[in-house]
Amino acid sequence: MARHLSPCSSSSTTTTFSPSSFNHEAHLSRKFIVVPSGTYSSTWVSRIHSRINQRMHPQLKSSNGHPLNAAYMQDGLPGNPLAKEHFEPRMKQRPIPLSEPEKAESTLSITVVGASGDLAKKKIFPALFALFYEDCLPENFTVFGYARTKMTDEELRNMISRTLTCRIDKRENCDDKMDHFLKRCFYHSGQYNSEEHFAELDNKLKEKEAGKLPNRLFYLSIPPNIFVDVVRCASLRASSANGWTRVIVEKPFGRDSKSSGELTTCLKKYLTEEQIFRIDHYLGKELVENLSVLRFSNLVFEPLWSRNYIRNVQLIFSEDFGIEGRGGYFNNYGIIRDIMQNHLLQILALFAMETPVSLDAEDVRNEKVKVLRSMRPLQLEDVIVGQYKGHSKGGKSYPAYTDDPTVPKDSLTPTFAAAALFINNARWDGVPFLMKAGKALHTKRAEIRVQFRHVPGNLYKRNFGTDLDKATNELVLRVQPDEAIYLKINNKVPGLGMRLDRSELNLLYRARYPREIPDAYERLLLDAIEGERRLFIRSDELDAAWALFTPLLKELEEKKIVPELYPYGSRGPVGAHYLAAKYNVRWGDLSGEDS
Amino acid sequence: MASLSSTNCRAYSSTSSSSYAASSSVHHGHHQRLAVSSVPKRFLRNKISLQSQSNPFSTGVRMQDGAVATKVTPVENETPLKLKEGLLSVTSSEESKDAAGFEFSEDKSTVSITVVGASGDLAKKKIFPALFALYYEDCLPEHFTVYGYARSKMTDAELRTMVSRTLTCRIDKRENCGEKMDQFLKRCFYHSGQYDSEENFAELDKKLREHEGGRVSNRLFYLSIPPNIFINAVKCASLSASSSSGWTRVIVEKPFGRDSESSAALTRSLKQYLEEDQIFRIDHYLGKELVENLSVLRFSNLIFEPLWSRQYIRNVQFIFSEDFGTEGRGGYFDNYGIIRDIMQNHLLQILALFAMETPVSLDAEDIRNEKVKVLRSMRPLELENVVIGQYKSHTKGGVTYPAYTDDKTVPKDSLTPTFAAAALFIDNARWDGVPFLMKAGKALHTKRAEIRVQFRHVPGNLYNRNFGTDLDRATNELVIRVQPDEAIYLKINNKVPGLGMRLDRSNLNLHYAARYSKEIPDAYERLLLDAIEGERRLFIRSDELNAAWALFTPLLKELEEKKIIPECYPYGSRGPVGAHYLAARYNVRWGDLGLEQ
Repeated sequence: MARHLSPCSSSSTTTTFSPSSFNHEAHLSRKFIVVPSGTYSSTWVSRIHSRINQRMHPQLKSSNGHPLNAAYMQDGLPGNPLAKEHFEPRMKQRPIPLSEPEKAESTLSITVVGASGDLAKKKIFPALFALFYEDCLPENFTVFGYARTKMTDEELRNMISRTLTCRIDKRENCDDKMDHFLKRCFYHSGQYNSEEHFAELDNKLKEKEAGKLPNRLFYLSIPPNIFVDVVRCASLRASSANGWTRVIVEKPFGRDSKSSGELTTCLKKYLTEEQIFRIDHYLGKELVENLSVLRFSNLVFEPLWSRNYIRNVQLIFSEDFGIEGRGGYFNNYGIIRDIMQNHLLQILALFAMETPVSLDAEDVRNEKVKVLRSMRPLQLEDVIVGQYKGHSKGGKSYPAYTDDPTVPKDSLTPTFAAAALFINNARWDGVPFLMKAGKALHTKRAEIRVQFRHVPGNLYKRNFGTDLDKATNELVLRVQPDEAIYLKINNKVPGLGMRLDRSELNLLYRARYPREIPDAYERLLLDAIEGERRLFIRSDELDAAWALFTPLLKELEEKKIVPELYPYGSRGPVGAHYLAAKYNVRWGDLSGEDS
Repeated sequence: MASLSSTNCRAYSSTSSSSYAASSSVHHGHHQRLAVSSVPKRFLRNKISLQSQSNPFSTGVRMQDGAVATKVTPVENETPLKLKEGLLSVTSSEESKDAAGFEFSEDKSTVSITVVGASGDLAKKKIFPALFALYYEDCLPEHFTVYGYARSKMTDAELRTMVSRTLTCRIDKRENCGEKMDQFLKRCFYHSGQYDSEENFAELDKKLREHEGGRVSNRLFYLSIPPNIFINAVKCASLSASSSSGWTRVIVEKPFGRDSESSAALTRSLKQYLEEDQIFRIDHYLGKELVENLSVLRFSNLIFEPLWSRQYIRNVQFIFSEDFGTEGRGGYFDNYGIIRDIMQNHLLQILALFAMETPVSLDAEDIRNEKVKVLRSMRPLELENVVIGQYKSHTKGGVTYPAYTDDKTVPKDSLTPTFAAAALFIDNARWDGVPFLMKAGKALHTKRAEIRVQFRHVPGNLYNRNFGTDLDRATNELVIRVQPDEAIYLKINNKVPGLGMRLDRSNLNLHYAARYSKEIPDAYERLLLDAIEGERRLFIRSDELNAAWALFTPLLKELEEKKIIPECYPYGSRGPVGAHYLAARYNVRWGDLGLEQ
């Protein structure tokens, strides 16, 4: 069945993997990547394509995919056995035997800059291993750790090995696989602003690449103040000579429009747009990925997806712990920048965008930008900020935010915020989009709630009592934990009477899909390797996002707005309820029914 | 909260009162008759049926007028129209009236339920147990009497013994179950008599009166007897055993004739002795929980109604199958066949409920008006849109299952269909061009009844490539499983978790057994309760019945005249393949026979 694509293909279209998009990139980045004319040799293209094909085999069969690629290959390789194979039925899923000259073979080097950091240890290396475990990495790959700490390869491997886990299914070759993986991991110690050290890294990389066509991916897991230095050094000294070079950067992307704009300008001095992969790991979450599938592959949702039927949308993020000694970074940013301006806003854009022309990265991102640009910048009166205070419960006392040694005693940084946003376009005019994000709350969750309007002229009105709000349909996408989709419907309680009840049409992922759901970082790393940009944030998207939040953030800081205090472990400041009430909304997560 | 606190037995949320308990509705009926008892019956009933066509609140208003003015006046035909505009005020005044009537009639009305044909199978298996269940749930009025009537000689004690064998308490088995049974049985009596003897019914009347002890008497006759004696029983009961002070209602079971003519003749005969509002034609499928829930789903959720039209729905399937044959009971069946036995009534009724426009209110007349409209918008069935089948013998695992014609009660050359599939069309604005497929059969591989709604393809689907070549498999489908194991689920496309982009159909699911631990009441309980309460929504009105027969009669005639030979299918199989070709002709794929269900 064509529906069953191989497990590693993360997109449904050919474009994103196709040589044409690669060429496109190569073309644009000629400044930094020297592309010898030979790059376009048929053998090279076919190698790439064959890998793509292993993942995306059904695509070539469909006629309306990318005739250009197909034609190119056909024309270019009339007698090439490799090319021919692509058009054969896909019985051969295995990598093609290396009958080509060594030179044409490609290899991938992944350099984790900031290898000794927390994110690298907890997320990046484990994600890389998971990809390897799932056979999603190219055959030839090298992982390099880069940081200032002196460490040997062996020490790095020791460090990494502690956090690697096999999937729940624990196939028997797990240890084996770990060993194989660790053997491909190396370490290079160097300063982040030293071109020289990056040149050394380049040498080492070249050694490992052994003349194969090198593709290089840099993952910058470092504080924002050294981003640009590293990008400069890596780009000037350690770019791939004839393959691609891509750089993944993590938030924060500045702290307002201006600083973000500056950061982008600096990055663009050394990188083209196509080389920059701004990661927002929320976009890699399973249910966020599924949001578009739900909307666009089901007939039953899209007709409802507008102001005609949707009363409000809620994007809710909560953590059940505070900053626990890590306030240094947070205090400078606050919850709005840390969660809302990026994660929640990105989900909102995906939720609300118009149907894109295709699932191609550029098409999807174009639509997201359009939504963001249709939005009204946030007003102070539409925002509530809060900060958690100390609280004792069951003999245990939890610290206030300002009790944290890394936080100034008089900090006004919000650890909670709720906001009402509006999209002034034809589809969403007047529909409140509510966001809520907080730390040290009573629960840990991330979810999207779509509350539908009342049934006009409801025949069953009398059966609902006075609160019609409780009788509306609601679609809930629970992103974490315990992924689920459920639709609240009104239903007759079985029995002789006519009692109505809200019950759920539900899909609990754990029950339906016993397999482990991959971590967001796995998907995003794989996408970056494959050049799939759909889930990464383009510069203009980032600008549009900041444009919405910057005036508010400025005002909060200038007016020194004091956050409403809420006890550690509580449901957050009550101000959030009043904000919701102002727009006739009731938070779905605090309704008593399913908190 | 009215929604949550309404009583257990309230079978229906009428607009008349938000705390409309079983008892009050009984009084309601009583009230009505009491107030107008001096008016000639015939006249009164005409009034009611006249009104009920035009106004959902007619009974309520009548009651008001009656109670206040004692005499029915012709003016009341107009009043409802005026009052209708002020819905709230009507309601509140009615509520107070109800409350006022309470004390007045509390201990003065009684209901006598006579099961005519008490020794029959249906009576034993369904009617008496349902009556007990209602009693067990405290849904019967305080004063009630159950009478069995049949030709066999039997004492009260013998009847009680017979009845007691089939009574069960609910799953929850409260501790007083045995006690309740005893109390119930004490109220059960038996009267032996001929079905066509006015004299015997007059004797019954006397006995009933004895038990009623001077209270206002309401009488319900449940005719659980073969169709050929319907009329006789109705005549005798109506002439000799009608209530003189309260209401008299008669529940009749299918078959309601075997074509337009015989059905009309039956209706005419019934109407010689009964008014339309005294006739309760039962279709027990309408009492099934999920059929009841169909309207709730449609009309109390925002998300379904916008999709409920040809614009989004590709086809609708009504599927009924039984996993056993006639098993020696072919005498009745052979004369009717599966089309009359299941399709023309059960499935067509569900179809009408499914497809009707939004009614003005949930009142019986409003709903039945809409159902009739749908039926009248339908094209009569054509022979080419129907496939019929008959099961043949089959040996599986050493067990041989008999053919239909092996049944001793069936003629060897019978052409009676035990399976049928049909495509129906509703030529109105909402449903033009949407095939409504029906399928019903005996001796199939499974036992089930379900409604399947297949939605159209997503126009310009961005994920087309992920579905392979068969886009039909990628459409949404809403399934309402009526039995067994009640459930509602919506098939949606979903990304399989993982690094790839594989799409998968999964279900948004509501499984009744998981969500509602209580036993779901049998359809007969609901329908008996409704009849006692005078709630006619789930019973079939004469014009509905006519419209239903009008659709099927030409086809049935043609089948018989042309002696169409049914396609044979093995006992226990999935039915004749002809059903697939019929579906394919309208670009439909049966949802129940796909690989995944």
